[in-house]
Amino acid sequence: METVLEVRDIVTRFHADVVHDGVSFTVQRGEVLALIGGSGTGKSVLLKEMIGLLRPTAGSVRLLGADVWQADEEQMNGLRRRFGMLFQDGALFSSLTVAENIAVPFREHTDLPEALIAPLVGFKLSLVGLDPDTGRKTPAELSGGMRKRVALARALALEPEILFLDEPTSGLDPIGARAFDKLVRALSDSLGLTVFMVTHDLDTLLSIIDRTIALSKGKVIADGPIAEVMKSEHPWIQEYFSARAPHEEGTR
Amino acid sequence: MAGAPRWIAPALEDGANVLYLQGRWRLPHVPGIAAEIDALRLAGDHCVLDGSRLEELDTAAGFLLLRRLAALGCVSGTVEVRDMADGHARLLTLVRERMATPSVAAPSGRHALLQRLGRATVRLGRILRAQVAFLGEVGLELAALVRRPRLFRFKETVSQFEVVTLDAIPIVALVTFLIGVVFAYLLGVQAQRFGATIFVVDGVGIAICRELSPILVAVIVAGRSGAAFTAQIGSMKVQEETDAIRTLGLSTIQVLVVPRLVAIMAGLPLLVFVGDLAGIAGGILIGAAQLDISPSAFIARLHTVLPMTAFVVGVAKAPVFAAFIALIACRMGLSVARDARSVGEHTTSTVVQSIVWVIVLDAAFAVALQRLGV
Repeated sequence: METVLEVRDIVTRFHADVVHDGVSFTVQRGEVLALIGGSGTGKSVLLKEMIGLLRPTAGSVRLLGADVWQADEEQMNGLRRRFGMLFQDGALFSSLTVAENIAVPFREHTDLPEALIAPLVGFKLSLVGLDPDTGRKTPAELSGGMRKRVALARALALEPEILFLDEPTSGLDPIGARAFDKLVRALSDSLGLTVFMVTHDLDTLLSIIDRTIALSKGKVIADGPIAEVMKSEHPWIQEYFSARAPHEEGTR
Repeated sequence: MAGAPRWIAPALEDGANVLYLQGRWRLPHVPGIAAEIDALRLAGDHCVLDGSRLEELDTAAGFLLLRRLAALGCVSGTVEVRDMADGHARLLTLVRERMATPSVAAPSGRHALLQRLGRATVRLGRILRAQVAFLGEVGLELAALVRRPRLFRFKETVSQFEVVTLDAIPIVALVTFLIGVVFAYLLGVQAQRFGATIFVVDGVGIAICRELSPILVAVIVAGRSGAAFTAQIGSMKVQEETDAIRTLGLSTIQVLVVPRLVAIMAGLPLLVFVGDLAGIAGGILIGAAQLDISPSAFIARLHTVLPMTAFVVGVAKAPVFAAFIALIACRMGLSVARDARSVGEHTTSTVVQSIVWVIVLDAAFAVALQRLGV
């Protein structure tokens, strides 16, 4: 197994607030991994630190063999072509149409001629389950779920090896959320994609995730398959899963 | 294509087309791969994809291959896959399942001149109509305020007044002072030729008080506060704050528009007064430095030649300008669509519309007052 992501002793402080106090874990190629934790435990912050958007106070991140915070701009650009990121609300460029949004990575990072970009954009849309005609719309005309799918298509444009997702199913209805889960899993299975997601969605955790990392009070408190994590004695984890338990038993 | 094919080696084996895919079929190589794919010819509509020499494959390359094969008549039933790594075969299956009829999603191009003219005209008509409707709405809310004065948001109005008026004093004073300096200097150069430098006082006093100060102040406030109103209200609209206001049973006009309208209508005349003082101060400076008019002589002359009406006309125009700026800015803010680009467009539009209206109104005032003999 090849390690594609290695987070070592990350410490993050905002003024007096200690967000992360020595967070470490590794991710192997092809894993679908979830990061869970209560609100304000710095999950999104950690995600930003892993992709080079926010510098941690201390510690290192090795992504696809390169140290994110030691790499120069050229190396970093090489890296950026090899991972995709789905932001929480999609972060589509509102001045561009959907098709132009997806075409941005092609235009900026490849020499593909326009004649190839148009059909590839259409294909990426159908890959995430959208009608290629959606390409003509502007992001403002889309529903939340569609926006996330378009953002996923954009994140997948350059055929990334790792996909980072920030709460991919939040704000989606259960049907849309499960469809999104299935899509991510299918892409991971057939493309060999490594997926690292921050999520609160227990259904996602229970259905498509290989491994779960739980974060609490700035530390990793559990790391393993969901069944193992659920057995943890840690009070936060107990509470997290028991909040759901009665309903869970009722439906099964 | 010269030389041996680099990506696809076609062969005929037992009467069947066999395509040996070779090398790393990844996005950076797609232009070359696409060229070979497009040159592909098949005998019949059956083909076998041999993956024994294939090192890597991604969805873009897979999609282009399957699309070309489909165009040549090979669809899922007639394409066979052999000796292919599991991952690659799964990828091709996924691509085939997800492949829709590819329609070109090109950006919605440019419009012809006449079409654009028509669209712009219709849009202008819509803006004017919406503006009138908005004016009516605000009028109704103001009438409601007369019946129930408790609805008036005093705190919000005062805080808007502070931002719109007090915070604008330095920039207003600076700009009108400099215009006073420039105006007095230019006038002085002309007047000196006739030895009539004292008339510079008349010119500066009347021009600043009646025209220059109101116009400049209105333009500054349109750029400063008008833009801010649109951007603030527009962002609130994007964040659904305006919906929240309405859901709480409040009126967006009462909460957002009226305080701004009142603050700017009360503030602009005061700013015009500040502008008058600063502009005249600029005139005094040039008078003393260049034209041998001492400050006391300047002020004494001003007392006799500056009619009260010039000052009153200038200050009285201000609330009218203010009302237009506030109404345009607030309406543009409330009509923002839910995206960032729209906030920018509407803010620009507010500044342009307000400045144009200020100048149009000023011209109307000049003509009307002339006719009335004021």
